[in-house]
Parts: sequence; structure tokens; C-alpha cells
Amino acid sequence: MNPTAPTLPPGTLDRAHVDAPATTLDPVTTLDPVTFEVLKNAFATSVDLMSEQILRTCYSFVIYSRDFSSALCDAQGNTVMQGSGDIAVHVGTLHFQCKAVLEQFPDDIHPGDVFAINDPYRGGTHFNDVSFIRPIFADGEIIAFAQNKGHWADIGGNVPGSFDVNAKEHFGEGLRITPVRVWSRGVFLRDVAQLLTSNTRAPEQAMGDLHAQSEATAVCEREVLRLAERYGTGTVKTALQETQDYVERTVRRRLETLPRGTWETVDYIDADPGKGEGLVPIKIRLTLDGEGIHYDLAGSAPVVETFLNSGYGTTFSAIYAGTKTFFPDVPLNSGFYAAVTADIGPEGTVVNAGWPYAVTGFCSGPYEKLMNGIFEIWSQIMPERAMACAFNLEYLLVGGRDARREEKPYFMWYDWMAGGWGGRASKDGSSATAPVFGPGLAVQPLEGQERLSPVLTTVHQIAVDSGGPGRFRGGCGIEKGGILTDAESTVMSYCCDRARSITWGIEGGLPSIPHGVWLNRDTEDERFLGSNFSSVPIQPGDAFVRPSAGGGGYGDPLDRTAEEVLEDVIDGYVSVARAAADYGVVITPVDPELDDYRIEASETRAARAEIRSGRRAWLEADPAEIAEGYRLGEIDMLDVIRRHGVILDWGTGELFETTTAQYRALMARRSSAHWKE
Amino acid sequence: MTGVRVAVDVGGTFTDVCIFDDDTKQMRVTKVPSTPHDPMIAVMNGVERGEIDLSEVSLFSHGTTVATNALITRNFPVAALVTTKGFRDVIEIRDGTKDDLWDAYNDVSGPYIKRRDRFEVTERIDYSGRTVTPLDEEEARTLARLLQRRGVKTIAVCFLNSYANAAHETRMREILEQEIPEATVSTSAEILPEIFEYDRFNTAVANAVLAPLVSGYVNRLAGRLKDDGYAGDLLLLHSGGGSMTPRMVEKYPVRLAASGIAAGAISAKHIAQQCGYENAVSLDMGGTSTDIALVADNELRVTKEWQVEYGHPIIFPSIEVLTIGAGGGSLAHIDIAGSLRNGPQSAGADPGPACYETGGTQPTNTDANVVLGRLGTSLAGGVKQLNGELSKEAITRVIAEPLGMELAEAAQAIVSVANANMADAVRLISIRRGYDPRDFALLAFGGAGALHGADVARELNIPTVVVPPSPGVTSAMGCLLVDIRHDLSQMYTGLASAADAEDLESSFTALETEASDRLRHEGVADENALLQRQVSMRYLGQWRSMQVPMGSGPGALEEAVRTFHEQHEREFAFRQDDAPVEIYQLHLAAVGKIPKPSFRPSPLDATSPGEPAERRPVYFGGSGWVDTPVYHRDALPAGANFPGPAIINQLDSTTVVPPHTRAEIDEWLNIRIHLEEVTP
Repeated sequence: MNPTAPTLPPGTLDRAHVDAPATTLDPVTTLDPVTFEVLKNAFATSVDLMSEQILRTCYSFVIYSRDFSSALCDAQGNTVMQGSGDIAVHVGTLHFQCKAVLEQFPDDIHPGDVFAINDPYRGGTHFNDVSFIRPIFADGEIIAFAQNKGHWADIGGNVPGSFDVNAKEHFGEGLRITPVRVWSRGVFLRDVAQLLTSNTRAPEQAMGDLHAQSEATAVCEREVLRLAERYGTGTVKTALQETQDYVERTVRRRLETLPRGTWETVDYIDADPGKGEGLVPIKIRLTLDGEGIHYDLAGSAPVVETFLNSGYGTTFSAIYAGTKTFFPDVPLNSGFYAAVTADIGPEGTVVNAGWPYAVTGFCSGPYEKLMNGIFEIWSQIMPERAMACAFNLEYLLVGGRDARREEKPYFMWYDWMAGGWGGRASKDGSSATAPVFGPGLAVQPLEGQERLSPVLTTVHQIAVDSGGPGRFRGGCGIEKGGILTDAESTVMSYCCDRARSITWGIEGGLPSIPHGVWLNRDTEDERFLGSNFSSVPIQPGDAFVRPSAGGGGYGDPLDRTAEEVLEDVIDGYVSVARAAADYGVVITPVDPELDDYRIEASETRAARAEIRSGRRAWLEADPAEIAEGYRLGEIDMLDVIRRHGVILDWGTGELFETTTAQYRALMARRSSAHWKE
Repeated sequence: MTGVRVAVDVGGTFTDVCIFDDDTKQMRVTKVPSTPHDPMIAVMNGVERGEIDLSEVSLFSHGTTVATNALITRNFPVAALVTTKGFRDVIEIRDGTKDDLWDAYNDVSGPYIKRRDRFEVTERIDYSGRTVTPLDEEEARTLARLLQRRGVKTIAVCFLNSYANAAHETRMREILEQEIPEATVSTSAEILPEIFEYDRFNTAVANAVLAPLVSGYVNRLAGRLKDDGYAGDLLLLHSGGGSMTPRMVEKYPVRLAASGIAAGAISAKHIAQQCGYENAVSLDMGGTSTDIALVADNELRVTKEWQVEYGHPIIFPSIEVLTIGAGGGSLAHIDIAGSLRNGPQSAGADPGPACYETGGTQPTNTDANVVLGRLGTSLAGGVKQLNGELSKEAITRVIAEPLGMELAEAAQAIVSVANANMADAVRLISIRRGYDPRDFALLAFGGAGALHGADVARELNIPTVVVPPSPGVTSAMGCLLVDIRHDLSQMYTGLASAADAEDLESSFTALETEASDRLRHEGVADENALLQRQVSMRYLGQWRSMQVPMGSGPGALEEAVRTFHEQHEREFAFRQDDAPVEIYQLHLAAVGKIPKPSFRPSPLDATSPGEPAERRPVYFGGSGWVDTPVYHRDALPAGANFPGPAIINQLDSTTVVPPHTRAEIDEWLNIRIHLEEVTP
């Protein structure tokens, strides 16, 4: 990262939750302060009531795991309020979807209508995320829209769950729903609804969600109409606008206390299968000019030949959600989007794919890279809120026929994990936490999964040594494994990333561990399937296991106290071996059963001195030799990554030369540049 | 039952004692400072201060925050978890979610048992209850001996799929008990025989960590009361709104996790019933927060989805109470974008509201009430003096000047925003269940509830507000009013249309046998035992289920399905009569009835409130400054009936009766404020 303008000392930064002295305020609202505050809060309640209902009536287990959002939009489609528990990834897309409905049906929207849309080429996320939008009429005119967006478990396409890693265009991915009416003046259009749900693998379930989501928007409508009756339609309309102005004003006032300048960084997707090995760049440049927050993504790669591309809706979402993390108390609405602008460049790039490129995997691709890159930039602007890279969202899908039952129904074991978030300026990263993509996205209970699918989970535990080493360690990732039991015609697919662009540390911190699925590990048939694959056939008895990464480390691991390392060893978050290799802390297990370990003070001093003097050279060792050492079993995988910055195919040990050069440049900037001699 | 009934509620600051004399039918109240390091000291101080002769006491009931506080502070003896190999981190991984979605520095608190104290043993049972890998007994025994060496005294045994087959857990318990005879062992299937490993494990783990502390406390207190002459059973209020004896607390201490919070809600139900309201919402407003509970159709709302801290679910039925950060000490401020805000930050007791003269300089709700004349400057019968000038200064500086408002207007704005926030919270807890607040009465208590109750009711179009005689000790009264209650459950999945009536009946019968045993164990006579069947159902394919009552005999299931459709429509505004309905769980509530105190009504002789103690100008939004009579509550006779505005003072609370309302004192000495005369 290269700040190209002088920055103010950290002490001048605004601290969250501290308000500026309120002495010279202009009159900012036309409503009296009480009415404004009451309506603003009531809008939030109306949206939360909608979310509450969908959570209790949904059919999709993905919605049940909190992959949904709710919004109240104004008559122009701008978002006035989002649900307080909404998934991050929908942030900043709901207004696009509402505006698409308005564009499609100008002068043709009536009381009692409900519209559906999931179109990622009109600001949506991916096809599974289906929005239902209901106009709210008062005094004969539209004053607002209530919207609920939820992730359907399946939306058709080539593979169960509709995540086709190999898709290059959208046609095989699933059903594209451009704005369409499903209720007309209060009458349910059964034919239209049937067309939508019949294109999924679980039509009854989809129909259930279609009803549940539409009914939920009616809850919001009822509340807004109550407000209109109580306070007058005009007052409510004014409040809908002023709630957005309020948020925009909040962000702009915060900016007054922040430094001005330009910052930039780059993060990478593992590879573009159309181009051979080599990391795929996503570039972010941020400018603060005192007026607003401006992003520029120029220099990001062209579209990749997988579904790890992003449409404009989700790119904006990543920008808003990443920025919002540094303004946690500011409500989300179009006022926020007005203060945050972005130039995402022309269509045809990985961050602005455009029709008809496949974008369903945006969540594991550009989305998460943009968010972490934005975290890195803001970590410089607000160092007291700094955070290293968090693990990447991943989905493993195992689908086929369940032979435990006579009729051998379709099953879909559709699994995602928690993982580690980055180390922070004042504490370790958060372990075993939902992805930044949606910190409210719950992992599924395996006892539920085992009833529904012929997969026996063999392990679900914290992955030892997965936290990136640092003064403040990255949070720990997870390891989850399973065995296929009574099944037929079963395939496995994986939507993930960061087997090569490994979750990184900052301020001298070190990387975590690579992603990737292992089939039948430690047997004759062992295969490393990598972090992105589709439709690999598997047989009953096959065992698979994969880790989620921990977070990257923050600060030089040699600055972590031996006592802190010891505590990690006692709890098994860090092994005795890695305590020595990563931290230079030599620990002797005296009686581990009774938590009795000893720090060897003089050996620790020696080990730390050795690392300090050797580590710059280790990062320049010949990659081919390192790869050879890995293949021979002489060099441990974590040493290959953390000591040498070398990236391999973790199954075969094949060296990725270009990738390694890129990764070493990245480590030089984020890690070694911050090490003291 | 004759004699004296005693109820003790231990709060953070005060321990309240309610004493009800069955002969005179009079209730007395005593308050003593709480003693957090050993709550029993305050309990016994209260007994002494209340001049209670324990040998005359027929019933001693107790609501305690011992369990809640222990869970929050993590201040409990080391416990161990024994679990299936490969799954020692289930309680650390949780479901992975964060409560605060946006603040990357605000983490969910860690598990109740550290990783170093979590151990694995080889065994595995599948979803159907079939053994995949037998329990490795040798390994289990080695582990038990290790735990013995580690000095562990309380252990949770949590194996995967134990809800389907508990044999391994039971065997593991036996081995542990053989090797460590003095240990307490909580097995997950026994604590909560339900699917979903994280919920079940965590509930069992919470039980294990609380066991030594809570049983220790309860047994010590029971022993002390016995030594001092109390011959009955000590009854402990549990989260579900019932009570249990020390014998059951020993086994299920986690049921006391929300004991203190439930008490206020139970009082609310009692007051609502006393006044003849089927539906009521309670507003228990204190210094820093407000608890809101809902009584619908004479019953308190109960939930199984709750936790003392985010991320640590305790899956036992618990009275649903919504707590929001709005209290007397909530701070009013203008935020960076120029908007007037109220709470959730609070001045608390330190530095306190500006008028307390204890260092607070920011305006609070209390300050606004003082400036408006709603709250007098002399509280608690003259014990505490408030400095209104400091309130004026704070509101002028922080709110009135920046917004260009008059002082009174600014103070009114502060109060209005606080009221609107509370009204929003009531909407959340009522509307989301499909209830219309207009069908409810509002019960206002806690130190500050009666100051705001009438205005909140107006926001919600609620016609009546009830202020009980002692608003400050309502929780203790709740402890007087409980029955013994146990909640049992069992998984039972299948389509309702395909359910075998006999099979269902025998499952319920088994639950009833277990429940009757528990009640008998607690000394409940059979004629006082009441067993209530309930069943959880959902539309096939839905994820959440809904609990509805079920009778017995032919047609009971069909009736329950009808109830399910109706309840689904009421709560969510839609039903699907043609969709298949699935049974998910069976539940049994076992109630041991305890005869309730019979309060004696006062004759409604009077009509006039008598002469006010004083008059002072009070500011009311919409009316401006109004010369207002101030009454002493003790001097208001039953039957008194008078129009607002009026202020009613008592030792622990102040009631505001706004203009355009009418107040009456009912036969139970509640103040009822009627808002029907309001012109909106």
C-alpha cells in the first residue's frame, strides 16, 4: 500500500461513537426533531418486523441461516432503511433492484402488486437471491416500496444448488428473473409463480418461499401505512428523504476529521483458468477529499473464465459493506451510497462483468477481495481499527441420490464454514466466525445435515496453526470432514478461492493456510482437488476434508510475547512446532495432560535471533528448491508459505512461478517491509 | 395455607423482600442493599429487617441472579467437556455468527469452557440412533482418570446424535461417576433431548458450569432457612416462570439462568388478571434499561430461543422479555448529523443524571422530567434531593441551544423521543406476534415506568395504564405468585396426517410419567399436579416450528392442526390449509399448583382524591405549563376518581397522569389511567 499524500497523525482521527460538538448546526431537517427521530426509528422497526417474519416462515435452509435482507425504499427506489441483521452482501443492491422494477413498469404499478427480480445484470447479486418488491400506496400515490431478498436453495441450472463453477456464461447457471409481476392488484398470478418455481429443483420449497417473502413485505407496508395515517403522508414522505440525508450528512461530517489523500492496494483471485497460472489482480484506489469517499477500480483484470466474476451490483455492495465496517454505527441507506462513490470502469472486467458472463461465484471471488482490500486501506486511515485479511467465503456441494430411502430422492449437502478474521491493532483476530460476506450467516448444525443427506461428518474442529502468525494472531479457521455413506450418482463441487492468494497478514504479520479440498487424505487414493472445481464424481466410502483459513496476522510475530504463545499452545490453537517456527518461542511439554509446559528462555532468545537474521533471505530462496523440498517431504507446507512465500499445487508440489513472484511481492509489502532488523 | 409467605428478589443494587400475611391478607415490603459477593447475606438481612419469624413461614420463594451473573462474569469453577472425537470445538465454533454485524472489533464472547478443558473420546452414533463406532471404554476410563487428576468437579458429556440414542452418554456418565464419585455429570440428552448439537451441547455446558455454584448457593440458603426454623421447601424461581425445589436445582441449575428477569413478568400477569385484562404489556423501566413482557390471552409469552449473552443459547422455555437501553439515566444527545437521540448510552449511577450532583453533566430522561415538573426535586420521601438548576443547564447547553428550542420544549422533546423508542420496542414484541397493541393494557412499573407509562400508551393507542401499588418491588411480588413447573420435550418428526395416534399417545404418556415423578420428587400432591401437552408443528419444508396446545383422546391431533393453522395466520398473516403439516417435537409442561395468596380488596368508598399535598406547574406537550395537583399515593383512597393532569408521589416512584385522561384507584389500590378521553 502506498499512501501518496501525507496523512495526519492518528490522534486526530475521529473515534467511533463520539459526536462532534453540536454548537454550530445549520437547520438540517424540515421536520421537528422529535417527529424525525420517531419516524426514522419506526422505519427501522418496520424493516426489522419484515426480517423477523421471514426468518420464522421461510422454507430455504439458506434463508433460515440468515442469507436474506429487507429494505424500505422510497418512491424513486432509493433505500431508506435496511434491516439491522441483514447479510452484508445484499447491502447496496436493494435499491438497484427496486429501480429496475420502476424502469420496467413505469406508470404500471398498482396497489396489491408484488414483483419478483433476481437479475444480476440489473444490480442483483446472483440468481439464487430472489427479491420480492411491494409498492406502498397512500393517498393514491406510491410513497415507498417494501422489499425482501432471500437466497433460494436452488434456482435451476446445471448443478444442484445452482453454483456451477465451470460456467462461463449465465445460461447454464440458473433462472434469470427480470422484473416480473407475481401479484396483480391483490390477485395471485399462479401461472407466473409456477413458471418461476418449476425451474428449480425444489418447486414446493420455492413456492413456499415465494409466499413467505411476499407476505413479509406486507408487514412493512402495514407499518408504513400506520405511520402515514398517524403523521400524514406528506410528513412520512419527507422523513423518507430526510432519513437518507441524515446518513449522508453523518458520513460527510465524519470525513471532516479524517486525513485527505489517496491510498491504493491490490488483492488477487487465485487464477483465471483461461490464462494458466498467475494471480488475477483486483485493484483498489481510494481518495478522500473531504467531500466524499471515492473509489476507483481501474487496473482490475478482465473477466475470468469461471463464475468468479462480479456484476456491478455486488461490486458496489463490496465497496459499501467494506467501508461501512469502519463506520459501524451509521445506518445503511442511499444516503450512505451518496457519500461513497466509485468508478468501477467499463464492462468486461472481473469487477464489472456485464451480460452474459457468469457471476454466481462473485462471493468467493472479487467480493471478498474488494472487502479485504478496503479493510487494508482503511486500516491505514483509522489505525486503531486496523484488521488483516479475513478468510474467504467457501461452499462445498455434494449432490446426488440418497440411497438410504427406497425412492432415492435428490439430496444436496450444501455446506459452508466459519473461519478466522484478521489480527487487529490491539487484539487477536476473531476465530471461527462467519465470513465478512455475511457475519450473520450461520453455519448449519451437522445433526440436521445428517438427517437430510447421506454424509457422515467426521470432524468439525478448529484447525491448529491456521491463524496467521503476528504480534496479534489471526483468528483460527476450521477443519471439516465427511464420508459419503449410502448414495448414488454423487458429485462434489467447490466454490472457493485462496489456495494460492493465501489469506495475508499486514504490518509484518504472516499468512494463514491455503484453502482446498482433500479427497481420501493419507491414503493411496489421496487427491488434492484445489479450491475451485465442479462435478467431481465420488463414491460411498470416499472421505473428504477441507480447512477454512484463519485470519492473517497483524504485526511482527517476533513481537508476540512468549506467554501469549504459551497460552495458545496450551489451548492447542498453536502447535509446539509452529510456536518455534513462526514465533521463535521454544516450549517444552512437561506434562501436557495437566497443561504443564515450560518456556525455554535462552533457546527462545536464540531461535528469535536466528529467525530475525535469516528471514529476509528465506523469502528470496530459489522457489524450485523449495518446491523440491516440499515434494520430498523435507519442507513443511507452512514453511513453504510463511518462510519462503512460495506457492505450489499443494497436491503435486508443482511450482507456480508467476504466482510465487506475485505472492512474494505481496509479502514484501505487507510483511517483511515492517520487520525491524 | 395459613401463615406468612415470603418472597425475595435479589437485584443488582437492592434485595427486595415481600411478606404476605395469610391471616390479615396484607403485604409488606422491605428493601436491603444487595451483597453481590454472597447474596445470601442480603437475603438473611432482609429476613431480619422484615422481622420475619421463619418458623411461621409457610412458603419461602426466591428469584436470584446468581446464575445470570455467573454466566456473564464467567466466574465459576473449572468444568470439563467430554465429547465425540473430532468435535471438541462445537461450543467454540457455535453457528459462527456475530451479534454486531458491522463492528469488526466487537466480538462474541468466548465459550463457557476453554479449549484446554474440552476432551474427546472415540464413539459415534448416526442420525437414526445406530452405533457407527462403539464407545471406546478403555479410552473413556483413561480420560475419566485424567479428569480426576485435573481436579475437575463438574463435567458435561455431549455426544453427537445423543438425542436419538443416549446409550453412549449414559455409559460415559457411569464411568465418570465411578472414577470421580464426587463429580456432577450433566449429559446433553438428559438436559435437553433435542436435535442440533450446538444448542444441546451449550445448554448442557451451561448446566455443568453452573452446577457447583448454583446448587451450592441454593443448598446453603435452604440449610440456613431450615436451621432458622423454616419447615417448608425453598422455591427457586426459574426462567420459565415457574419454580423448582433445591432437589431439582441440583440437576437442572441452568433453568435458573434468567430467574431474576422472569419475576417482573410474572407480576405483570398477576396484575393483568387481577384487573381483568386478558392482554397486557408490561413496561418495567429502571435506571438504565426497560424490560418489556407480553401477556396474551392470560398467558405470558414463552420462548425457547434465548441466551444470557449472544452466542450462548440456553434451550429451555423462558419468559420472553425484551430489554432495551431506555431508562431514567439514558442520555439525550445530538449526534454528528444534528439529530436528537436518546440512549442507549446511560449515565447509570455514576456519574448519574445532572440533577443528582454526582458529576453528571449530560442531560438524561430524569433531568428532562425534573425540568418539566413531572418529577419533584425531593425523592424517596425527602431522602434524596435533586438539583433542577443543573438539569436546566445541561438541557440548555446540550439540546435547547443547538436546536434553537425553548428549555421546556427541549425537555419535552427528550421525553418524547424516549417514549417513542419504548413504543417501538412494544411494537416489536407485540405486532410481530400478530397482536394489536390497542387490545392491551399497559402495566407501568419499575422506578421510572409510571413517569412515562401514559405517554407510551398514547403512542400505541393503548386505552388503559395500570400502576401497581408498589411499582419499585414488583419483581419480588412475582416470586410470591409462582407454581412449581417443569418443561419436558421430545423429538418426534413425521407428517401429522400420517402420525400413529397410539404411538403419539404412548410418547406423551412416557413424558407424563417422567413429569409426574419429578413433581412427586418435589413433594407435590397428585391432586395439585397439572400436566399440559403441547406439540410443535410446521408446514412441511419450513424451518421454524410453532408450539400449540394439544389435548388427549380421539381427535386431539386434528384439533391441534387446526390450532396451528389459526396461530400461523395470526402471527404471520397467512395460512396454507392445503400444505402438509409436520410434527417436530412433543412438549409437556408439568405444573405443581401452589395455592396463591388471596389479596383483600379495599372497599371502593371514596370518589374524591382528597386535597392535594401541593400544586405546581407541570409542562405537558400540547398543553404547555399547567397548574397541577400533586398527591401522595398513600393518601389516595380506593375508589378515588379524578381527571388529569395530576402527579402522584410515593416512596419508590412517581406517576404522571397527563391532561385529557382520568385516573381511578381500584380495589387493589392500583392506579388505572384511562386514555379514552384523549383527543389525538
